[in-house]
Parts: sequence; C-alpha cells; structure tokens
Amino acid sequence: MTPRPIVRAVLAVATSMALCVSVAAQELTSDDAPSTKPTPRTASGKPDLSGYWKGMRNTTPGGNIGKDLPGFKLPLTPAGEAALKHNLTATVDPEALCIIGGIPRHNASGLPFEVLQGANKIAFLYFYSYFRAIPIDANRKHSDDPDPSFFGEEIGKWDGDTLVIDSIGFKDEKVWIDENANPHSDALHVVERWTRPDYNHIHVDTRIEDPKFYTRPFTYARTWVLGPPDEELHEYSCSENNVNREHLGFGPGPIRKDGTRGYEDPAPLPPPVPKK
Amino acid sequence: MSARAILVIAAVAAISITVPAAAHHSFAAEYDGTKAVRLEGTLVKIEWTNPHTYFYIDVKQPDGTAVRWGLEAGSPGALSRRGFKRGDIKVGDTIIVDGYRARDGSNLADARRVTLPDGRVVAGGSAGDGGPQ
Repeated sequence: MTPRPIVRAVLAVATSMALCVSVAAQELTSDDAPSTKPTPRTASGKPDLSGYWKGMRNTTPGGNIGKDLPGFKLPLTPAGEAALKHNLTATVDPEALCIIGGIPRHNASGLPFEVLQGANKIAFLYFYSYFRAIPIDANRKHSDDPDPSFFGEEIGKWDGDTLVIDSIGFKDEKVWIDENANPHSDALHVVERWTRPDYNHIHVDTRIEDPKFYTRPFTYARTWVLGPPDEELHEYSCSENNVNREHLGFGPGPIRKDGTRGYEDPAPLPPPVPKK
Repeated sequence: MSARAILVIAAVAAISITVPAAAHHSFAAEYDGTKAVRLEGTLVKIEWTNPHTYFYIDVKQPDGTAVRWGLEAGSPGALSRRGFKRGDIKVGDTIIVDGYRARDGSNLADARRVTLPDGRVVAGGSAGDGGPQ
C-alpha cells in the first residue's frame, strides 16, 4: 500500500529531524540533564570535579563575558574603552591565531573541556589541546612578581565543598577576555569558585577584577552538564593548517543585539540541491 | 502517532537546536554575510586538517577555463560527528558547496552546506562561529 503524499512528506520531515537531533546529541553542547545521583567525592571527602563537561544550549549569550550584566554592558574605564577599540580595529582574534585563550575566556567558550582531579592538583584540559594544572594548597601564596601568562598564576584552595582558584599575573597584550574582543590588562585578578552540586553538573561563580580596564569588579556564572561516557577530547592541533589567519579581519565582526557575534540578517544560502 | 503529532515534534526539535559560541574564529571576521554563493567544481586538493578542513575545487567557466576556489569547513572532528568522513570524498569528485565569500575578495568561501558526491547534504560550517546555521 502506498502512503498518502502528506503522510510520506511528514514522515520524511520527521526522519530528517530525528537524524538532526541524533547528530545534535553528538555536538559540542548539550541540553540540560537532571541528575538523580549525588555529588561524587574523592577519598578525602572533597567533591570530585573530574569529568567531560559540555556547555548547555540555554547559556546565552555564548562567548560574552558580560552575559550576567544588564544589557551585557561591561563597566569599562576610559583606558578599557580605548583597549576595546584597539581590539576591535587593530587586532585579530588571538584564538584564531592559535594563541591560548586563557581565563576567564575559556569559561565563556562553547567548547567542552575535561577536568582531572588529584589530591593536590587539578587539571583542566581544553578542546584546543591547551591545559592548566593548578596546585591545591592551602598554604601557597602568590609570587611577588609572577611571569605573565594567559591562564595567570593560579592557586587552588578548598573552602568547604567549593574549590577556589585565585589567579593573578596575566598577559596584557594579544589577549581578548572573551569572544567579543573585550579587553583585560595585566592587572586582571580572577577568582573562580567551582562546585559540583550533583553528579551531572559543574558550576563556577567568577569574580573578575581589573582596575585598569574596569571601574568595578563584575561576575560571570555558568553551569556545565556531564557529557556521555563515550565522548572525550581528541587531538586538535590549532596551528597545523591555519589558512584562515591570512584572511581574517580585525575584531570579531559585528555583535548582534543578543550579545553574540555575527551578522544580524545574513543573506540566505541558495536553496538546497534537489536529491537525485 | 498521528502525522500532525510527528510534525509538531519535528518542529519543536528544529527550534530547540541552537548553538552557542564555540568556534576557532568568528565567521564575520573572515566572511561577508551578504555574499552567499553556490560553487560546483572538481576536487583538486583535500586538507583534512585542524583548525579547519579545506577543499580546493576547480570551477568551470563559460569560456572553458577553470577558476580555483578554496573552501573552508569545520574541523575534521566536527565534520566526522555529522557523518562526513574523510573517505567520503576524493580528488576528482564533484562537490557542490553553498557558502559565503571571504571579505578580502579572495577565491575563498566558507562551506556552510556541502552536497557530497553520493548526494548527501551535510552542514559544513564551524558550529558556534556566529555564522548562518
């Protein structure tokens, strides 16, 4: 029996959408997944933050460190405004040049990351094969004059069930604080407070302080969801064949009203090629 | 399940798929959103590399000559996750690419949609680069 055309059409759409959904499930971000299991703990009783963590689709605007501020408006100083203008008009996105994004930019990224936690050290492994390994040491103090780096000089300490990572000693050039080209200076001080409220989620509350470029400290909070057991990081050699670097303009391009980068109304693509 | 119910589920699924920022570089930093283009040509080189895959095709012109185009797509990992594997194409195949031209006017385009030699149509762009989905 031949199905009616409308039924055939509907089934075709449904099948196609099912394929899309199945592919989306393997994409880099995920829908939320409520947890029925408690926070896993290490032998010492502390929460175990280890896992493969994926951003959630409802985290918007992605890539914008001003996500939690009214109108996504960052409290820039005049020097910060000038640095932003410089980034927009005279610099290519450092990540596109395969320079480490650093913190807090990696926390605003849509890419998954993996955490491996030991007794006295915790490692964050990032999608572009970058990593940061942070000592967990209640007695460690910051250096007097740390060598500038993209992740900064990071010290981890437990505050109850919260892992606090305090970082100073950042680079002041070739750096964007997020994907929208917002700046930070070498006066940046980042305090991340990481928790694992249940088995499926990891959360950070971030305090970002940079008195050279921002009039006051501001915050950025985010939750990630645990990826499926069969998903993991793979090799990503950013500088293997970075053809695009010769074609990139300065800045991220236009920023949309919703706080994300991109054209508001791009021209549509030609209609898909009919199936043979 | 009724046909109407299936259609509703499909529509909801389509709407729920959004992509946060993730990519190696901003689409708008390299490509012109007003310059959509369709390119059909013969594959002459395939670079299955990070941070992007690149395909090079010769596009035949009305006068019989060929113009070479570079086509930038997502990373090998991104394409693989969508079912587009390295073995799906080889030099000499014909592919059709719908995308956007580079802002600098070079013969480079972002391959947002690729029609493979076997007729499958796959998304070619980098998820989360702010480009048209």
